[in-house]
Amino acid sequence: MNKIDTNAPIDDRTTAASDWKRGFDAQVSDTKTIRNRSGIEIDPLYWPAEGSDPAYDEKLGFPGSGPMTRGIYPSMHRGRTWTQRQLIGLGRPEDFNARIRKILKSGASALSMIPCNSVYRGLDCDEVEPELMGTCGTIINTVEDMDICLKDIPIDEVSVGLNDPNPFTMLAQMLVVAEQRNIGWDKITGTSNQSDYISHFVANHMFYRLSLTGARRVQMDTITYLAEHVPNWNALSVVGQHMQQAGATPAQAMGLTLSSAFQYAEDCIERGMDPEKFLERFTFFFDISISFFEEVAKFRAGRRIWARLLQERFGVTNPRALRFKFHAQTSGVDLTRQQPLNNVARVAVQAMAGILGGLQSMHTDGYDEVFTTPTEGPAKIAIATQNILKHEAGLCDVIDPLGGSYYVETLTDQMETEILRVIAQIDEQGGMFKAVQSGFVQGLIGESAMAFQEAVDTGEQVVVGVNAYQDDDDDTARPSVERPDPDWMQGQIDHLAKYKSERDQDGVTAALNTLRAVARSEDGNTYGALVDATRAKATQSEIIAVLRDELGFGQPLVVA
Amino acid sequence: MNQTATIPARVLVTKIGLDGHDRGSRIIAAFLRDAGMEVIYTNPWQKIETVVTLAMEEDVDVIGISSLATDHLLVPKLMVALKAANLGHIRVIVGGIVPDEEETDLLEAGVSKVFHPGSGREEIVVEVERLAREAAAERPED
Amino acid sequence: MNVSNPEKPNLATRLINGEVAALARAISVVERDTPNAINVLRAIRPHLGHAVVVGFTGPPGAGKSTLVNAVVAELRTRDKTVGVVAVDPSSPITGGAVLGDRIRMAEHTMDAGVFIRSLASRGALGGLSAAAAQVADLMDAAGRDVVILETVGAGQSEVEMARIADVRIVIAAPGLGDDIQAIKAGILEIADILVVNKADQPLASQTKRQLEAMLSLRAPAEHPVPVLSTDAIARTGITDLADSIETVAARNERRDDRSALAGRSRHLLAQAVAKAAESYVLESRSQAVEAIILSVQEAQIGLSDAAKQVLNTIHKELDD
Repeated sequence: MNKIDTNAPIDDRTTAASDWKRGFDAQVSDTKTIRNRSGIEIDPLYWPAEGSDPAYDEKLGFPGSGPMTRGIYPSMHRGRTWTQRQLIGLGRPEDFNARIRKILKSGASALSMIPCNSVYRGLDCDEVEPELMGTCGTIINTVEDMDICLKDIPIDEVSVGLNDPNPFTMLAQMLVVAEQRNIGWDKITGTSNQSDYISHFVANHMFYRLSLTGARRVQMDTITYLAEHVPNWNALSVVGQHMQQAGATPAQAMGLTLSSAFQYAEDCIERGMDPEKFLERFTFFFDISISFFEEVAKFRAGRRIWARLLQERFGVTNPRALRFKFHAQTSGVDLTRQQPLNNVARVAVQAMAGILGGLQSMHTDGYDEVFTTPTEGPAKIAIATQNILKHEAGLCDVIDPLGGSYYVETLTDQMETEILRVIAQIDEQGGMFKAVQSGFVQGLIGESAMAFQEAVDTGEQVVVGVNAYQDDDDDTARPSVERPDPDWMQGQIDHLAKYKSERDQDGVTAALNTLRAVARSEDGNTYGALVDATRAKATQSEIIAVLRDELGFGQPLVVA
Repeated sequence: MNQTATIPARVLVTKIGLDGHDRGSRIIAAFLRDAGMEVIYTNPWQKIETVVTLAMEEDVDVIGISSLATDHLLVPKLMVALKAANLGHIRVIVGGIVPDEEETDLLEAGVSKVFHPGSGREEIVVEVERLAREAAAERPED
Repeated sequence: MNVSNPEKPNLATRLINGEVAALARAISVVERDTPNAINVLRAIRPHLGHAVVVGFTGPPGAGKSTLVNAVVAELRTRDKTVGVVAVDPSSPITGGAVLGDRIRMAEHTMDAGVFIRSLASRGALGGLSAAAAQVADLMDAAGRDVVILETVGAGQSEVEMARIADVRIVIAAPGLGDDIQAIKAGILEIADILVVNKADQPLASQTKRQLEAMLSLRAPAEHPVPVLSTDAIARTGITDLADSIETVAARNERRDDRSALAGRSRHLLAQAVAKAAESYVLESRSQAVEAIILSVQEAQIGLSDAAKQVLNTIHKELDD
């Protein structure tokens, strides 16, 4: 790995550079020269002169090809910048719809949808303690709820991000809504953001609905079904965020996430799918901590490892499949309750690390996340932070601007070694599925979480306002919380009751029975039956209950 | 031989409601264990009545509820249920993300203490030990 | 000092009447050895002997709690009420413990026919809580049909369990070679039933054969020890295990047998004496003890002689 070929003819680099420039020009139509405040012209990319730094070509190369270390597209942020994907989800479907229409009107081309925590648990609004309803996201239980959420929204034109864990009931609802509007499923684009059941089993139990083996079956059924029927949908986003939030170090989080992705790839191959094709649709989702250079190096190393190991392990050659596309979110764990406005600074630094690490999509946290689910004012500052970094700080002017730094390159190599060590550990356990089933991964993460807490407790890790620079008078900017009106929650419950009473109950029962039979059979496709049951107006809870019955309940492995 | 003086505090560490993030509850469980306490640890998503049964069967001194989403909103119901089950001596603490005004609500409902992100190990351990002693003193000896 | 409220029936009476809160409290009273403990234990004496006490032991990772959970479910379908005592080790350094066994038994929490109590071993020899026997008695007196004692296999604990339980079950996980060695060392002697759990794993049948081979080396017994296969998660083999438990329970000496009880009391007393002597040596700062410690330290006398000297010292102190 990373062997230095000192005999590489120097004109290889010239060729690679001109290949890159061609790719760049093809992607960037705006040829406006960028100058800094001193009038100096800023190139989109800098690299070592021919004949110098012989390791460059093998380890770094040019963005969009080769080792991919410097980025997955020739133009990176100098062309299209990242997608600003702020998660929103609020109260009732009509509240969500009003807000999303406002956002789309202001020029956004993508929408994200977060359901209420009760939906994550697979419960309908008539099964939940009313205090908890609609406090964290939108209540979406039925096709009708989804239709209201998407009222007057051209779902064939916007890209949709669904926080829709396995077994993907929200996507099924959206597909049925598309049918009702005579929109072909091939027009539906977007991503199932929360589709990594392994990460949920390990580190985000709220999203974990079916047993490990049951979720695996449904996952593969879904990927197979969508590849055939909804070809432009990204069925899988492999998530490192939960594990890092749960305490994994950045290197562990990257290593474990890549191991999960290899597991999913192997499972797809076992289903007879072609890696050159399905890997094009794999995306990732990471956490960005405030450990600035470590995070930059984590992303650069991860990108390089992904491209190389896909070739080594699966013989992939399709360059589109080798692209390590990722969304990232700034880390809530780093934010402090003490002196809360300091969090604005923390989020800015985290976001910078993500941008310089070459992300494709980003969510920045509101500074009030340690108090409550983010409120509107702090959410606006979070978006402004991205815009400031983009337009005022000039972070998008140059591709991989830290590339070539002695420190960053050394650190990238070191992170790579560490990440590969984690991957080897997981390989030794027989792959990620077995390593989480046995609790091995949970143990690793738990130890790291304890070690970090220990460092904070002893003061070895300084946290401003917490264990250093404390200030008693720090009650600045504490947001006040808004909770949904209990009355309209009752309205939602009544609404569901009406929906259930007006539907063709025999049709629902028949569709659920079919779903049950398919789940029980070992070869039927559960996702097709799930879409059918959704169309027959079964609620998400009814569907998930059948699958839990047949495939097991998602009880996390608790490693105390 | 009377061992009462050296008997460890018994603490139920659990999560109610919908959220499942357990980094906080695991760390707290380990803290309390390392401080010599006996910790009964559960899965997330416990119902109020289950927490009451667990607390009764295990005869705990303190219940620690970890809440990162909005699950703390159910804690007042827990307080009522504990009293109804004649377990009013048990002290309840809440740790996690709790907005200021709702902290006041919780304290008024009878919660002994709310720990926020950034609370130190020492602070938590000392407080839980103190509350366990209080609970033990009030515990009906029968 | 017994501060029981004259208006209210006392703890033991409430326990015998089946009040679960009283059982829970009585366990604490006995475990903490409060002054009321002896009153409770005396009061329940006439009510012992109903329950079958079943011990489960085995190495960490064998799936004991999951298996106990499955057996409890099976016993419930047979209309048996159940008490479970789940023992986890305390940290030898801090004395603390995370008691997580009942996580795997969550499905029974709200069933009034199942009472689960987690105990920490609190440094007791062999990993079985010193109070476990008495806790089993409390559950017996409270009318539980079956009392299950679950303990981690840690050398001595199997032997401890053997004295308390009417039916002794030793659980092995497939493919743990060292595990088999450990079982060889002493568990085979006490087991009424051997279980290979996780029967879905590839090495399960091999482990079963190894165990059967080991058993065949022993002198032929009147009642051969069955080696059963279970998969506690898939709930296979559980009916057979429950049948087997009933067969052994019907056959074995019961704890209410006079000589068995006497034997158990003798062992419990021996343990309590050992514990008292231990505290005495660790905590006493008397000159006599310090002198004995010094002579051990300087290798002037052997340990067993020194122990006799300590007992003599205690004896003298009591005389004074």
